This record gives sequence, C-alpha cells and structure tokens, in this order.
Amino acid sequence: MSVPENAAAPVNKPWRLSLDSWAVVVALLAALLVRAGVFKHIPW
Amino acid sequence: MADAVVIPQVQPVQPALRFLRILPGVLLLAAIGYAGKLLEQNVGAYAKAHHWVFPNIEYVLWAILLGLLISNTIGVPEIFRSGVATYEFWLKAGIVLLGSRFLLGDILKLGGVSLLLVAVEITGAIAFMTFLGRVFHLKPKLITLLAVGSAVCGVSAIIATKGAIDADDEDSSFSIAAILALGAFALFTFPLIGHYLHLGDRAYGIWAGLAVDNTAEATAAGALYSDAAGKLAVLVKSTRNAMIGFVVLAYAIYWASQGQAKAVGNKAAFLWQKFPKFVLGFLLISVLATYQFFSKDQVGALANLSRWAFLLTFAGVGLRTNFRDMKKQGLRPFAVGAIGEVVIAVFTLGLVVGAEKLFGF
Repeated sequence: MSVPENAAAPVNKPWRLSLDSWAVVVALLAALLVRAGVFKHIPW
Repeated sequence: MADAVVIPQVQPVQPALRFLRILPGVLLLAAIGYAGKLLEQNVGAYAKAHHWVFPNIEYVLWAILLGLLISNTIGVPEIFRSGVATYEFWLKAGIVLLGSRFLLGDILKLGGVSLLLVAVEITGAIAFMTFLGRVFHLKPKLITLLAVGSAVCGVSAIIATKGAIDADDEDSSFSIAAILALGAFALFTFPLIGHYLHLGDRAYGIWAGLAVDNTAEATAAGALYSDAAGKLAVLVKSTRNAMIGFVVLAYAIYWASQGQAKAVGNKAAFLWQKFPKFVLGFLLISVLATYQFFSKDQVGALANLSRWAFLLTFAGVGLRTNFRDMKKQGLRPFAVGAIGEVVIAVFTLGLVVGAEKLFGF
C-alpha cells in the first residue's frame, strides 16, 4: 500500500506527566519526607 | 508537487537545562513572596511604634501588590518568564498539601453542600453568560469560552475547552484576558464586600470559591479574608474544578454535533484527561491525615509547606497581571465578562446566604 506523499508519519510522543500530576507527585513526596522525619519542622 | 508537511525537529530540553531556565523566575517569585512576608511583619510594627493608623495588610496582598508593581512598570524581563509561569505548579502543590488540614468528614459534609451549590452555580452561570453573549452579538465559540471560564475554573477551563471545540486563538485570548482582569478586580473587591456584609469565615470562603473564576485568585481572595476562609475557598474551588471534564465534554459533543469540532471518541478517557489531578492529591492527603498517618506536628509542618507554596503563587498572580495587555484585547468581551461576573457574584452570594440558613454551616 502506498503512503501519500504528504502524509505525516505518526509521531511517538514521549510519555510526559502533566503539570497537575507533577504538582501531586512533588507534594506527596514532600509529605512523605515530613512523615519520615527528614524535615522535622517547617518554619513560617 | 504535493505540499510537503514539514515537521520541525524539536530538540528535547535536558532536565538540567530546563531547571536552569526556570530558576531565575522561581527565585523572583520567592523573593517577592518573602518581601511580602517581611513587609507584613515590619510595616505594622513600624506604624505602631510611630503611632500611625495603618491597616494590617497581610503578606498575600503585599506579594500581589509588589508583583503588580513590577509587571506594570518595568515589566517582567524575559529571563524570569519561564520561572514565573511555574506559579500554577506551586498553587497546585500547595492545594494538595493543604489537604492535610481537612479531615475526610469535613470534606464529605462541606463537599456535599458545596457540590450542590457548585451544580447550581455552573448551570446558572452558563445559562446567563450564553444569554448575555447573544445579546452582545459575540461569536458563538467566544460565548462558549466565556461561559466555561466564568462558570467553572477560569483559564484552565478556557484552555481545555479551546482544544476540545477547535476555537480560535483570538477568542481564547479574549476570554482569558477578560477572566484574568475580572479575577484581579475580584481579588480586591471581594474581601471589602465580605467585611461590609459581616460575612462569617465559612460563608465568605464558600462565596469566594464559588464566584471567583481562577483558582489562584480564588485562593488569594479567600486568604485575604482569613485563614479559615482561605481553606474553604480552596475546597469549594476544587469542587468546581472537578466539574471541568463534564462541562468541556458536553460542549465538545455539542460543537461536534454542529460539525464544527472533532467528535469525541472515548468519553471516559476524555474525562480522565481533563480531570484536575491535584484534586485527587488533595483528597489522598486528607484521607492520610484523617487516619492519622501524620502526627499533629507533621500536619503543622505540611500546612506551613503549603503556605510557602502559596506565597510563590501570590507573587506570580501579581507578576502575571498586566493591565496594558488586557486593555489591548478590546472592550466587548470584557463588558460581557464584567456584567456576567457581577450577576454571578450576586447570585452566588444569595445561594451561600440561603444555604447557610438551610444547612447551618
């Protein structure tokens, strides 16, 4: 089967996390570090 | 000769390079936020020492005002822009961490009430904005974008809907500018109205979460009133955000049926793609806090971490708001947005006052 000359080859986009998901991952990681006692006190 | 489709070769940006690119802007956010915190602590003390009558201005407002000052005078230099754009990331991370201060029972109780209010607000806002857009003879897809932006969740909803209904870039720029300008206006007027009407923290927080469009501005408008109001504003705004997928899906199906947008294939996948994942993170942390996964001190530490994340967000809200750029976008969409927002604010205030009497929150 011939492929039309102007057809773009399917591009395999690398799998990437959205900004939303990154925010969740970073926040959960921070929460785990607090839970593990790595950060004992966060001042305000 | 057939036209060749040229696919630009996008060079992957190395994580280290990406980090270096955002670093100046993140440092600027932190510096402005921290300056806001120092101003809160020192200006009040200085005024008191010199017997001046000066209102207590919280760090939230200082950070926003400093950001606004920079953005609207010298502007944000190019080197800082990528990092300043991360304010959305800090906002969402801050909301997830704030989940530690909500017990699941509170979420179920307040979430149930807010879900009901959100459903009424979304239906009323979409119906009114559609009516208003038709009265002003705006383009149909611009009406859709303004309706979604004011009914659900500001800029994120407009961007999600733009892709789903194949709207023009110009229409989405108009809608985003209108929503951001009105969000900035709400930031300063909502706390004043709340104090004038002697609204309690809960009623005000729910109102800010229901009526202020963008998540960052809703969070700031709540925090400007009180800590408790800020918590409630985030909870209600997150409930509104959770509805984004359903509203965008409904519009995508409508515009596809008109032959003016691509048909939606897998609806479940569409909903998952549009669902704001930070709402799930917020719920997960809240479940962990409810089952005492964290000690009391650790919950305090997480709450402070959330405050630091919001500090960067509030600086970003100020830096992102440029009144000259907004003015360039034209008056009509702004007028529709402004009239709509005032009506939605009054409508939601009535809803909250009614619900307070009915449910006694």
